[in-house]
Amino acid sequence: MADTAVARPGLSRPGRPERGERMRTRRPGARREALAAYGFLAPNYLLLLVFVLVPLVGAFFVSLQRTDGFGDGTFAGLDNYARLVGDPLFWRALGNTVLFTLLVTPLSMLLGLVAATLLNTALPVRPLWRSLLILPMAVSGVATALIGVLVFDQNSGILNRILTAVGLSPVTWQSDPVPAFATIVLATVWWRTGFNMLIYLAGLQGIGPDLYEAATLDGANRWQRFRNVTIPLLGPTSFFLVVLNVIFSFQVFDIVFVLTGGGPGGATSVLVTYAYETGFVTRDQGYAAAIGMVLFLFALVFAAAQYRASRTKDVVE
Amino acid sequence: MPVTRRSFLAGSGALALPFLLASCGFVQTAPAEKRQGTLTFTTWGTDAELAGFRAAIAAFEAANEGSTVELNAVPYEQMFTNIDAQLQAGNPPDIFRVPYYTFGAYAGRGQLLDLKPLLSADRQAQFTPQAWAAVQNGDGTFGLPHHTDTSAILVNLDLFRQAGIDASEIPTSPENAWTWDQLDALGERLRAGLPADRWPWAYNWQGNGVTRWLSLLFQSDGAFLESDQKTPAIDSDAAREAVAFSSSFFTKNYVPANNTIASSSYAAESWFSQSVAMVWSGAFQIPDADTTADFEWTATYAPRNVRAGSDFGGNALVATANTQQPELAAAFLEFVTDAAPMRDFCRAASLLPTRGDLLNDQLEFDVRPELAPVFAGQASLVQPQDVAQVASPSMSAILPVLKEQLDLAFTGAQDAATTVTNLQSGIGAATGG
Repeated sequence: MADTAVARPGLSRPGRPERGERMRTRRPGARREALAAYGFLAPNYLLLLVFVLVPLVGAFFVSLQRTDGFGDGTFAGLDNYARLVGDPLFWRALGNTVLFTLLVTPLSMLLGLVAATLLNTALPVRPLWRSLLILPMAVSGVATALIGVLVFDQNSGILNRILTAVGLSPVTWQSDPVPAFATIVLATVWWRTGFNMLIYLAGLQGIGPDLYEAATLDGANRWQRFRNVTIPLLGPTSFFLVVLNVIFSFQVFDIVFVLTGGGPGGATSVLVTYAYETGFVTRDQGYAAAIGMVLFLFALVFAAAQYRASRTKDVVE
Repeated sequence: MPVTRRSFLAGSGALALPFLLASCGFVQTAPAEKRQGTLTFTTWGTDAELAGFRAAIAAFEAANEGSTVELNAVPYEQMFTNIDAQLQAGNPPDIFRVPYYTFGAYAGRGQLLDLKPLLSADRQAQFTPQAWAAVQNGDGTFGLPHHTDTSAILVNLDLFRQAGIDASEIPTSPENAWTWDQLDALGERLRAGLPADRWPWAYNWQGNGVTRWLSLLFQSDGAFLESDQKTPAIDSDAAREAVAFSSSFFTKNYVPANNTIASSSYAAESWFSQSVAMVWSGAFQIPDADTTADFEWTATYAPRNVRAGSDFGGNALVATANTQQPELAAAFLEFVTDAAPMRDFCRAASLLPTRGDLLNDQLEFDVRPELAPVFAGQASLVQPQDVAQVASPSMSAILPVLKEQLDLAFTGAQDAATTVTNLQSGIGAATGG
């Protein structure tokens, strides 16, 4: 169980390896093992270096330049970042991104948790339900958005036909800002709930039945067991999912690009669609890179939070 | 050594390209000695267009022994991100196809070959003045106009009958095209005669098709740039009238509410599904309409206001500035814009030629040939000064401004006067003018 792995801070001195630890590093073959380990890790690190770190550093350099799409840019210092401050379209995109994150993260996590809790109990054809919920994960974002177009088209879409058939008024999904924003939230929640359910299911299956037994013996009802046993012990899982969902939400692009194109009237424009428009339509790659660096900063902050949380919260459990 | 964007991109491109592009057909597989006399040509296209290009290439190779042209067909969606990356990495194709509204972004930034010294003397005279204006930049000629297309109106005759409008009311010549007032009156009758879930029309201004809104501006005799292609000129009564007129399509319920600029639903889809009675459309839709539309339909001319005006759609063929074979590239461009290859290409693909000797009453389409004169007549209404504005090097920066501001106007978020004021300042910021 997890408690056997809990560190005992009072018995060791951090920073100074114990005698036994020093001995272990010197055992025969250790050097070769380490080399083999580095050998296995090297391809991953190489890919990370070439496809993540080099472009990242490159994007930072580009963000310091004034560019017109072709040829060398001219060094502009922090001009692009200063432009961000006074750019209403950037702030609108940032506001939309934050709102999108605040809606999608709790909604998709809540639905994921409910689905995982249901599917962790004895249900008929349980594997089928699990597969159905996980299925959207296998669908690309573009395909999801194209399905969304068929569903939400306000003239000939399936949803408005259903609403009309049951006597309700059709909704202006594409021409009014609030319903349009709702379409990208709904499509993303549908897409992401299965992923959240999968992670929560793994978390739920790590909770021993003895805890529920003990709580039942103490007189806890179903809700109290969920509230006081399940929820606290899913803490690390929830935190992991919060961070991941926030990063995913900040990076949302394909669903918005295909489903609403950022409209109507910019109501669904988010940071990455704005960066794309700036970089590939206007061809102002320096400014687009600056938007990208802002996005990276957000991701970095949450990744740091995840790193800290995963080290501390594991100990609690 | 300071790391420049160019050296960074070249370095990372050298590392990544073999892996990324091998499956896309971008890797030059021919040995170096065989590159002599070989041109690379990147384009997107419908099946009919690609067949036309292949036929022209075969004829060129037969007429020029020792020369080959490698055709690289890519999806439109990735065409220009690829071309931009290749230009930046220094390995672009020798020739590529480019819409007229994107042409200026390449020509104005030194990425294209100036063909002027390489073309035969009579070449300019073969093209219409509008087409020739679309490939000029500064003092140079940076491409040849391969074909054009322009928006006329496709009409669903079944819905017209349902609304009690007789087909005889549909204009049959450019001179008697509907005026804006007549179009408005027609919209009112269609609105009254059609059920609530059918609309009089849809306009094809979605996405980069926002340039088609400019036709309304031109019909009011307005402009968005001065002749220097830089100074904004949209702050005018003509522009306010055009914005107010197009916004009225929404307030008067003439178009579906999702017929906005950013909409993910294209105007043509509404017409095919019979949600609208008319749609502004290029001739390229004719083959699809012929096979898909299960209703009776025809085509008529776009409306006029102070004057007629229309968009100069279509594409040019251009050679890249650093091609190793400028003479061969120019020869190929001349060959595919000769009368016979252009006529065959346009006839099969339902597009309009850019040569004056082809854009006439003799123009034929393989499908619905009787409609060819409508689109040819519409194309003849395009003014060279209108085309020159769209060929501005700053057009790629102007497009987002048009999309943003017109979408705000159409969704009722701002009035015509504010929209035009914002367009003027936005276009000024985009051009630096």
